[in-house]
Amino acid sequence: MNPILAWIPILQPGGSLGNYWWLLLFPLVVGISIAYRATHQSDLAGFWRGVLTFSVKSTVAMGSLGAAMYLFVYLVIPMLRVG
Amino acid sequence: MSHDSTHSDEPLNWGAAFFGWIVPGLGQVSIGHARRGILAGVGILGLFLGGLLIGGVDCVDRHEDPLWFYAQAGSGPIALAADWANSALLKTGKVGELVETPSSMPRAAPMLVSSFKTVTPANEIGTLYCALAGLMNLVVIFDALKRRPLERDDSTKGHAR
Repeated sequence: MNPILAWIPILQPGGSLGNYWWLLLFPLVVGISIAYRATHQSDLAGFWRGVLTFSVKSTVAMGSLGAAMYLFVYLVIPMLRVG
Repeated sequence: MSHDSTHSDEPLNWGAAFFGWIVPGLGQVSIGHARRGILAGVGILGLFLGGLLIGGVDCVDRHEDPLWFYAQAGSGPIALAADWANSALLKTGKVGELVETPSSMPRAAPMLVSSFKTVTPANEIGTLYCALAGLMNLVVIFDALKRRPLERDDSTKGHAR
């Protein structure tokens, strides 16, 4: 049977895209942005533009932190002298 | 922050805060900021339901993951309902089946866990979605608590609803 047909939404886990689980962080950021901008934007006229900007900024910030951590672990730490 | 319609000398909207916990965004709607409340509710409920779709109701468990549950409970009764569904449907085997799993404690009897329980990133991401939905709803609730009701707002022309 097709596993999608056997899936019971909400009760049963939907899966995590395998090795691409990190892609699920993007809709997470968008959801947070919608809730945040809805309460922190005085004029809702440019709401969706604000959501997009906030989402992109947050994603870039997280990516930068990840890149910085990668460089620290794989470049800086091996250069440290032990003892 | 640009809270043009919030003032520290205004009385706090405790009723709106309560409504905001019952249904995310309803607090803003109850004080006249309908569009703002609906948008906030869409964000919060989208996060929570997204978490349940990714990880299932096993993501909300007040017995096994109490700290996560405290954050998730900010989403309101929907978190309590998800926890109930986990306890009453999954853990009893009414949905799915109970399978024997070796206990983490040596010499302890095997445990029965639901076949719908996962230890994959799906569970972690789902738990994170639901917890962040609860924490963001606290932000929305505090906004409803302090936001000036639209009926009493003397500068409504300048504010989008």
